[in-house]
Amino acid sequence: MLNLNDIYVTLDGYPLHYHLTVSTGEIVAIQGASGVGKTTLLNTVAGFITPDKGEVSWDGEELTNAAVDQRPVSMLFQDHNLFEHLSVLQNLQLGFSHKVPTHLIEQSAQTLGISEHLTKKPHQLSGGQRQRIGLLRTLLRPEPIILLDEPFAELDSATREVAGNWVRNTAKSNGKTVLLVTHQSEDVERVADRCIELRYPESATQ
Amino acid sequence: MTACLSQPPSRKPPLMSTFKLGQLFWLSYPLTVAITLLAFYGLMSFEGDSADWQLLTDGYFLGVLGFTLKQSLISSLASIVFAIPIARALCLLKNARYKQLFLGLCLLCFVTPTLVVVTGLVALLGRAGWLTPYIESLLGNDNWNLYGLNGILLAHLFMNMPFAIRMMYQQLSNIPDTSWRLANQLKLTCWQRFLIVEKPVIQATGLMLFGFIFVLCFNSFAVVLALGGGPQSTTLEVAVYQALKYDFNIPEALTLAWSQLLIAGGLYAGFASFGSPVWQSHEMESRPIRLSSPTLLKRGYSAVLIGVVSILLILPYLALLPGFSLLTSPNSWSLFAHPLLLSIGLGITAAALSLLMAYALLQPIRQQLRQQQNFTAKLLEQVATHQLFAPAMVISVGLFVYLLPRIDLDRWGIIVVIALNAAVLVPFAFQKLKPRLIQFDQQYDRLCLSLKLSPIERWKIEWGFLRPSFISATGLVFVLAMGDVAIFAIFGPSNLSTLPWLIYNLASTYRIPEASAASLLLLVVCAWALWALQIAADKTEIKEKPDRAKP
Repeated sequence: MLNLNDIYVTLDGYPLHYHLTVSTGEIVAIQGASGVGKTTLLNTVAGFITPDKGEVSWDGEELTNAAVDQRPVSMLFQDHNLFEHLSVLQNLQLGFSHKVPTHLIEQSAQTLGISEHLTKKPHQLSGGQRQRIGLLRTLLRPEPIILLDEPFAELDSATREVAGNWVRNTAKSNGKTVLLVTHQSEDVERVADRCIELRYPESATQ
Repeated sequence: MTACLSQPPSRKPPLMSTFKLGQLFWLSYPLTVAITLLAFYGLMSFEGDSADWQLLTDGYFLGVLGFTLKQSLISSLASIVFAIPIARALCLLKNARYKQLFLGLCLLCFVTPTLVVVTGLVALLGRAGWLTPYIESLLGNDNWNLYGLNGILLAHLFMNMPFAIRMMYQQLSNIPDTSWRLANQLKLTCWQRFLIVEKPVIQATGLMLFGFIFVLCFNSFAVVLALGGGPQSTTLEVAVYQALKYDFNIPEALTLAWSQLLIAGGLYAGFASFGSPVWQSHEMESRPIRLSSPTLLKRGYSAVLIGVVSILLILPYLALLPGFSLLTSPNSWSLFAHPLLLSIGLGITAAALSLLMAYALLQPIRQQLRQQQNFTAKLLEQVATHQLFAPAMVISVGLFVYLLPRIDLDRWGIIVVIALNAAVLVPFAFQKLKPRLIQFDQQYDRLCLSLKLSPIERWKIEWGFLRPSFISATGLVFVLAMGDVAIFAIFGPSNLSTLPWLIYNLASTYRIPEASAASLLLLVVCAWALWALQIAADKTEIKEKPDRAKP
């Protein structure tokens, strides 16, 4: 279970407050207006932002002061998810501590429609293709907590549906706990178990 | 379709190794400061002899200082004044390929070892120079003399004006298209366009360039040593050398070195507030620039101007070509082989050391920037590049005075030459590597952390990203080290000679054909190194297409 217990974060002088619990294996969509603190919430769980107050814990183990690389978290950022000078396949092989699940990567790439791009460099791909590659790696990594920051933003509606279904199925079959930031209600309906809407001025309401 | 994953055991990051490595990089700071501190210690005194401050009121000192300031002022002003119309003409040039070639020629002029330029100018405009009869008939007398202020100004102009052209062009090309569109829409006249759109850019760049070129000319050694032509045309830097190596007058050398340090360091610090040019950059966009809607006449004038400047810049190189016949003779090779090998060895070693040092110095700065400790990072950067404030000659003299009673300099001098060359080149390697590494951190630090990469994995990825900049930095640092004269003049063992030092000795004994041949050889090696390494850098260059911009 992922627990954010009375977390206070100050961002550009504005106080943000989070208090929420996510069950293991649950997929939770995070919505809210721009600037309300959706990405900040993900960054706090991932460890890129240290809260002023409060506690982040996973299965009873406190993570609040743990370094980013010591947290059981895999995150998809809004941008810069791929190293531009490495091939797509080389990019996909990063972030696995032991054996790289090559077969699974190829299989999932097939599903997401990017299998013919594995030997290319990221600059040869469209925004949507790059996004699916980042998404694929984030989901396949072994960490139990998955944070997705607008993962479908650059996809057309058909690809969006395929990617959304793939995310839900992969997460559910592997017991991943997912926080998904999205502006689209259809993503919430397709992928998430429930939705949290963040609101001004400072509280996160479940 | 559902992907099934096994759950591998959690990984413990190798925190200790990261910690130790990070700490090791901090050691580069005391190391880089140590050379300067030893030099300063040497500048304090030598076996009871300290600086002779009476000299500061002496006519000789004032004369040398006056000439140093005069030649620096004229050289830098002329470089800027000539560069402005040429850079503007370059913007109007349509042929992108020729534009790139011209910009490449400008870079070559700036990084060409000084003595190659000097030899080229002597072969062109010296007593028996190709163009000397024409100049004398133009002047109506036979009083033309390259040696003295004439030669110094011409050499400085040849090296610095192309650099100023590159910088001006770069700045003009950064003016957004929207400004030109607006100027067109408002139907501004050419003069109004110049005043409103171009002048602010030219003014800011011009001031920065003026400061930078002034300091370069103030610290000029090889040009003045070779073309100075007597006590009336001596700069502080050459006076320091003469006091130390010819007169062995340590108090005088110390006084002059302190004066050089305080004036040059002060000037650099003052001019640095205008910003510092990224002069090492090979990368130069050649996108079409819409300075205005030029008439056919304007285009023609630009093409002619650029053509004439190209010829003028190529002439000193062409003047070296007769030396080629000497390069085919085995006798000449017995003269050139050892200095050539020594120069290449020295260049490679000094370049490798300076790049490693610069990389090590950058690591703590990156760490501070990642922790948003911007002030500490700025402070560390000042320490890492402090050699920019202290001319190589001053550091050499201080170190020479410090080491003289302690080690056999004739035996170990070459080690000091390598170490000092590496030390003075650190700021240049640093400035070339820094933007790339900072870019890596800004783009990928979060991703590296999120992917839980080990230090080795991260370094491998980082190296792939850094490689193009590293390779092109290697070319530039190597060429600069190859061309060193000042440090070798002080520490070079009497039984050894580098190629530039050989050129100086040949030219100063009026063996111009041999000096031309040696210069040609040095030029070929430097140009080849720059070209080959730039090709290698371009091949590894990363094409980027950023992810969608953050909202």
